Amino acid sequence: MERGYWIRSKPVYSALVWQQQANAHLVLVEGSAGGLAAMKLFQQMLPQQSITVIYETEAGGADYTAALKKVVPDDLQVFNSHDAAMKALEAHLPEALMGLRIYVAGSEKFMWDIAQIVLHYGVDDADIAKELTGTLARSVYCVHCKAITHNAHTNIQACSGCGKKLFVRDHFSRRLGAYMGLMVDAEDPGQIPEIEEIYP
Amino acid sequence: MSLAFKKETFRDDYTYKNSVEAIKRFPFPFPEDTYMYSVNMEPHTKGPKGAVTEHTFDIDEHYVSECLDKAKTLELDPGRYAVLPHMMDAQWDFLELTMESLSTDYPHLFTLKKDGKNWTWENKPLSIKKSFVFGDVSTLDMDPFEYMSRQVQGDFVLLDQRNDTLYADAGFITSQADWSLNFDVGMAWHEWHGPVPQVTKLGVMDRALKYLMSMQLGAPVRRLNWTMTINPRLDTSPENYPLWGGDRNTVTPENVGKKVHLRVELQTLFRLPRSNGLLFSIRCYLINMEELSTFPRWAKRFHRVFRDLHSDLAEYKGLVKFREMTVQWLSKFDDGADIGVGTHPE
Amino acid sequence: MSHINVKVAAIEQVTDLIKHFTFVREDGQPFPVFSGGSHVVVSMNINGRIQRNAYSLMGNPEETEAYHISVRRQEKSRGGSVHMHDALKVGDSLQITFPVNLFALEKRARKHLLIAGGIGITPFMSQIADLERNKANYELHYAYRAPEHGAFSKEIKANIGNKLITYVESEGGVLNLRNLLSKQPLGTHVYVCGPGPMVVAMIETARTLGWPENHIHSEQFTAPPSGESFKIKLTKSALEIVVPPEMSMLEAMEAAGVDAPYLCRGGACGRCELEVVCTDGNLLHHDHYLSEAEKAAGKKIMPCVSRAKCDLLEVVL
Ligand code: FES
Repeated sequence: MERGYWIRSKPVYSALVWQQQANAHLVLVEGSAGGLAAMKLFQQMLPQQSITVIYETEAGGADYTAALKKVVPDDLQVFNSHDAAMKALEAHLPEALMGLRIYVAGSEKFMWDIAQIVLHYGVDDADIAKELTGTLARSVYCVHCKAITHNAHTNIQACSGCGKKLFVRDHFSRRLGAYMGLMVDAEDPGQIPEIEEIYP
Repeated sequence: MSLAFKKETFRDDYTYKNSVEAIKRFPFPFPEDTYMYSVNMEPHTKGPKGAVTEHTFDIDEHYVSECLDKAKTLELDPGRYAVLPHMMDAQWDFLELTMESLSTDYPHLFTLKKDGKNWTWENKPLSIKKSFVFGDVSTLDMDPFEYMSRQVQGDFVLLDQRNDTLYADAGFITSQADWSLNFDVGMAWHEWHGPVPQVTKLGVMDRALKYLMSMQLGAPVRRLNWTMTINPRLDTSPENYPLWGGDRNTVTPENVGKKVHLRVELQTLFRLPRSNGLLFSIRCYLINMEELSTFPRWAKRFHRVFRDLHSDLAEYKGLVKFREMTVQWLSKFDDGADIGVGTHPE
Repeated sequence: MSHINVKVAAIEQVTDLIKHFTFVREDGQPFPVFSGGSHVVVSMNINGRIQRNAYSLMGNPEETEAYHISVRRQEKSRGGSVHMHDALKVGDSLQITFPVNLFALEKRARKHLLIAGGIGITPFMSQIADLERNKANYELHYAYRAPEHGAFSKEIKANIGNKLITYVESEGGVLNLRNLLSKQPLGTHVYVCGPGPMVVAMIETARTLGWPENHIHSEQFTAPPSGESFKIKLTKSALEIVVPPEMSMLEAMEAAGVDAPYLCRGGACGRCELEVVCTDGNLLHHDHYLSEAEKAAGKKIMPCVSRAKCDLLEVVL
């Protein structure tokens, strides 16, 4: 990547830190790496207000449920499916008050699924603390057929909708939770650059 | 002025052409022999008679065909129109602004009668007559923004001002390069302005944003932007890139004059009254090299600009493949004489 | 800046200290519709000196026959409000700017919490009209010193019923910000307009409770403070202008015929920002726009409210 050059729509993530000024806290983490991120968070000085943790475990990965049980003081909810975790989030929000701080650790898909849900409650993604863990895999929006292909690990990804070979750009839509994919060989059909794994 | 509206196409057989008058009023954007990207705005005040800036929104000989082309593009891809729910006030602002300006500027083509909130709109060129209640969506056939976007040439974006920036929260985009509305809708200023080579570092975009956010009611502004398009195609969207991307390979020394078009955007910005939003209107003018060179001064000027354009910008605008051929084609008009400053044709 | 020429159509004494002015256009045209929370800048000629003050528009934004403002008499100010109160008569001509909104409603809010103190009620009067029109979820909390200070309280009550909650200090009414702000549903936006300490308290309380900055809105215009006289030099126009004690830099430049940009004239919007070349003294920042770091750096100044303690200040204009 060129130095000093940045696509401003591309999100920036950073390690979770408690916000001491708050009304309540909601932590959502995904998989082994997310579970570990939550454990790290609980190594920090705990805030005064109530804390809820929603943990989506990962089949086959390390499970931090037992460890989290020891450190989460109030409310720990563990789920083994993404849908169940998102349902728990939905259930938490209607009664939530201003000053709820939201923390997320997981893949981009996990984060932006959450961002879309909380947006309905008037929370902007900018006000969610986000830590990228586990994988750099991208969701790719096909600009031609509008399908979103998840789990893209390569610079060029076949669209799950129309099959076109998409060049995965850095341009990111928060509304869709996906990077833009543009047909790579539109000008010169069949001329596909070398496919490399760059989002492990 | 009574306009004869041409029947022409912007796709397939490409019958689009400019009349002699249309060529003469083309908004040629190069006052000097070199081009530097800038976002300098000027007040959108009434221009000289006949100029594209004479009226708030320019209606020209391509009006009817262009509206048909817009409808076609939208029909093939409904994603070219998108609006977020909080933009309803801005939608009505847009309808009011367009209906009022068109009926004031072109009373023989458009009329607007108001009886309190009961309005009647007539668009003669498109044979539309409609009575509705201002502010009541259920009395229009569709969203107010879509309704009038279909009846004015160009693309439109409604911007919401909040959090110290501008958000593109609604758009009707059928004739613009490099925007994917469905992808970009809802983005903040810095997100949808991808980096322009040679520009981001200078803070140009930050200054432009600050300027726009303090824009006032009753004081619209404008600027020109340009790129080039192969064939007179309005819909050069990323969505349809597979359809037109290959056209860049079809330019030959023989067809440069007809195929290669200079594409100029007249961009205007208005503060909207009840929403406090902004309207960004992007009107596209197309002219091919043959038409352009009917005024040798323009051919000379464009020859120099295109020849000396920074290679990063040529790359960014997608002009690399046909640049050499076009410069070569234009060179026959250029005797190297000093033609002074200014965009005038003669 | 483009202006609208207006005539005073009516003046109403609302409370001992507050007058309500109704303007119509000189040319008989309707005014532009505006958005709730907008203000206009009124230019007045006080014995040959032009003073410009910003006032919130408080009528219904959709009613375009007239604009309405209310002015509280400020004995200790530089004469603008006193002039409006004592000198202005029905039929007088004035110039106002087009409306500008620096206190806009966030249209995506799930709930709007409006908090007014005293004369700070005025911007909310136009916002209520917008909120009602859009059937938005909102509450207006209005605190004032004594019943006779509750300008417009009755009128608002009649319009919005129990969405208005009043706190009358003389009757023991207390607006407990912490209580109020700690029980608001997710997605609420809070707006405050009133005396400086109230605005600061609201912002601080909201922050302490973890409200994100973008959910906290305030309108706080500062009247330009007077000070010692100093000289400014404009680099581009090579003009030298003396800023007298009772005038702001902006006013002094305007009096010298310079067309300097502005929107709020109260240190809030950032439009008047000037780049400082150098000074032989210190800048006295009074605005709410520049960050503390920017103020300390001394490279920028907001001439509508800020001054300098120096002999010469050189700015780019
Ligand atoms: S005019 Fe608004 S800060 Fe000076």
